[in-house]
Amino acid sequence: MRENWRRTLIVGLAFVLATAGTFVFAYRAGRQAQYLRAADEPIRAWMSVPFIAHAHHVPAAVLFQAIGVAPRQPRDRRSVRHLAHDLNRPVPEVIAQLQRALDAAAHPSGGQPR
Amino acid sequence: MNDRLLALVSLYGAPALFGIVAIAAVGVPLPITLLLILAGSMISQNAMNFWWAIAAAGAGSILGDQAGYAIGRWGGAGAVEKLSRRLGARESVRAMEAKAQAWGGPGIFITRCLLTPLGPWINLASGTAGYPWHRFLFWDALGELTGAAVYISLGRYFSDRVMALSAVLGDMSWAVVALIAALIFGYWLLSHLRRPRAR
Repeated sequence: MRENWRRTLIVGLAFVLATAGTFVFAYRAGRQAQYLRAADEPIRAWMSVPFIAHAHHVPAAVLFQAIGVAPRQPRDRRSVRHLAHDLNRPVPEVIAQLQRALDAAAHPSGGQPR
Repeated sequence: MNDRLLALVSLYGAPALFGIVAIAAVGVPLPITLLLILAGSMISQNAMNFWWAIAAAGAGSILGDQAGYAIGRWGGAGAVEKLSRRLGARESVRAMEAKAQAWGGPGIFITRCLLTPLGPWINLASGTAGYPWHRFLFWDALGELTGAAVYISLGRYFSDRVMALSAVLGDMSWAVVALIAALIFGYWLLSHLRRPRAR
């Protein structure tokens, strides 16, 4: 009897947790979906320069120029980490430089923000 | 680790995608949804071919799933049998296996394209349950190709929002998993509370 009661309590708790989880994850998904188009894509070490350029609607050449890299081919898909290694510079520094170039492209000096 | 895999797909395209999804399908936790979305984004940048991407992702996952099924069927069946005999639960294991066979097809399909974290376990369970291989292959291929096509197409459409889309899909997946768990626990509770008590 006592064993039965304990099992019911555990399953009841699991039910409450699963229900709460459903609402929390559904709410988070809905909220993120709402701002999907407006969300800013952060720069990660695995991203290539053409990928970052595409995500931020900026020409890749502007970003390559900002970090002082001559692309090896028209679509140089080396990651930021790879480029930082080739440039012998820390990854966060290259990311910061790319971010500054993106900010400058979004708000050109003397012009209106995009 | 995940960063390096994403960089590999970004650099080498479809061959890297094939290898990584095959490893993940055996049960190694890798960010496959994000990789498929990334592949879609690369397609929209003309850095990958749509059909090649679906073929690579589909073939890689099917290969990994078949390996999981084979381990369950020919490597794990003996162990499961021994364990169930030792625990004296042979009949209930048999009943579970019968259920797995009855619900197998749609279960296999849905864990390929929606509840993907459960996929590797279903592969093993289908193998140990002796689910017919040709049916497993059919549902597996259907689910994997559908899943690859859906996620790659989403990545293609939201090609400039890869990370944000991946976060939305991740939360949606967990919401579905939690909902199914809530339904199972709720059903168990209701049927248990309604059962007349023996005195």
